[in-house]
Amino acid sequence: MRTLDEKETTQVFEKLFKFTGNNLKNIIDSPSHEGPDPDPGRYCFRLCKNRVYYVGESLVRRATNVGRHNLTSLGTCVGKFTKGGSFHLTIQALGILAANAKHKVWLKPTSEMSFLYGNHVLKGGLGRITENINPGDGVVVFSMSDVPLGFGISQRSTQDCRKLDPNGLVVLHQADIGEYLRMEDEL
Amino acid sequence: MEEARTMQVDLGNLMAFDSGHDFPSLPSSREELVEKCLEKGTELVQAIADALFNLPSTEDVDGPIVKLPQPTTKLPREKHLPKPKPPTKWELFAKAKGIKNRKKDKIVYDEQTGTWKRRYGYDRVNDDKDIPILEAKATDEVGSDPFAERQADKKKRVEKQNKNRLQNLKQAATAHALPSHIQLAATALPITGTQAAPKKVSKEELGNVAGLAATATASGGKFDKKLLGEKKPKHEQKHRKFLPVAEGTGQGSQEKEQTDRVLNKLLAKNSHEILNVNKAVTMYNVKKEKKRSKQKRDDSSNSSKLKPQKKVQKKPIKNGSATKGYAKKGSDTKGSATKGSAKKGSAKKGKSK
Repeated sequence: MRTLDEKETTQVFEKLFKFTGNNLKNIIDSPSHEGPDPDPGRYCFRLCKNRVYYVGESLVRRATNVGRHNLTSLGTCVGKFTKGGSFHLTIQALGILAANAKHKVWLKPTSEMSFLYGNHVLKGGLGRITENINPGDGVVVFSMSDVPLGFGISQRSTQDCRKLDPNGLVVLHQADIGEYLRMEDEL
Repeated sequence: MEEARTMQVDLGNLMAFDSGHDFPSLPSSREELVEKCLEKGTELVQAIADALFNLPSTEDVDGPIVKLPQPTTKLPREKHLPKPKPPTKWELFAKAKGIKNRKKDKIVYDEQTGTWKRRYGYDRVNDDKDIPILEAKATDEVGSDPFAERQADKKKRVEKQNKNRLQNLKQAATAHALPSHIQLAATALPITGTQAAPKKVSKEELGNVAGLAATATASGGKFDKKLLGEKKPKHEQKHRKFLPVAEGTGQGSQEKEQTDRVLNKLLAKNSHEILNVNKAVTMYNVKKEKKRSKQKRDDSSNSSKLKPQKKVQKKPIKNGSATKGYAKKGSDTKGSATKGSAKKGSAKKGKSK
């Protein structure tokens, strides 16, 4: 376990910024809820074997008691660094992303399953969409009952979505909660 | 055929040599000269080939193999003749005194055991350890050990001999006449008679070697006292330094600083996206409309004919630079348009925390 160096921190923050925008400040500065201490402190990011974890300070301090080779995971994993050095967000980051998302998309009940199997979101499955989405923005996908299902990258702006034909791609799939079943080993 | 007689073939060196060759007339051009030389060369090579095939051959997988005879031409020396070395101290003494060198046998008859033993080495003739009794002389002290004394004497003699040998070698070295086996053993010395180029050690090389020497201790040179002016080693063990994992109760101040720095950089880079110009402009227009309609209602209650109606519509402009000033006045939720004021806004938020 080690802290992230500056380059790694920028990579992680940039990826999170795509989804949260200015709410990134909330993610970083929010007081933690973990641990039995009366004052758990803030959240911080730690790197353990190429995975980035979002942990409260009290937990971090306790985790230093576990040996380097024995420590598997701590707090919430938000993503991993690939062999090539780039950072990818994983589905376990959905909690913090959904709470602080800037752009949201709601899916119709008929196309929920399709998205949970890993398919992209088509215009025909779109229920609601927030305004002012630009292409290339990070988008969090919800069901109509406001359950977060996953996240992805938007392919069209909101206005273009209105003019699109029903089979056009709206959101490129990046992660969904079905991955907990499908890719249990890789998470 | 006359040429064949003057031709000498040295098969040991695979060489053919024509001593009677002479150019009858100097050829005019370079090409002609080259041609003539090639012709002559071919004849000579032909002679070698003829001689080779005349030798008795043995069959082999690759073809017939021929054993070449010893070479007949004497090649010149590769290295120079050995220089005469200066006479050693003993040689000078022997010459002066007229002492001649007598040949000694390796095996000598031993009187004590009645066998033939070596003159020196294992199981030798006059070995010290074979003497059983030493008679005490009048000059001997009471508590001294004569056997130990004999050993000590021998050691001294051997040391003296070695010293003299080294002195002789040094003399020979100054006269550039060291014997070849010692010359080879002393790798730093150049070949006798030649001048070795002085090797210049560069600053970088010295630094590297000094670094190696400094770290070649049991603890890697970590606890050695440094001399005055000695700098820290260039490459410390760890090539990357990370912030401490848990400082105090969790996040250290350095880590906080780093995250804040990165965050601010990121927000500042994307601050142009904070203000949505179109939305701000529409909000402004809506506000204006409301204000005007309110005025209209008030005026209509009083008198509408006297006051002129001002209709000003602001169209949203694509680049936000012109409307930034207006937007500042109008919108309050989005806060500020310029980058400087954006920073102020976020700083305000930070302070309130």
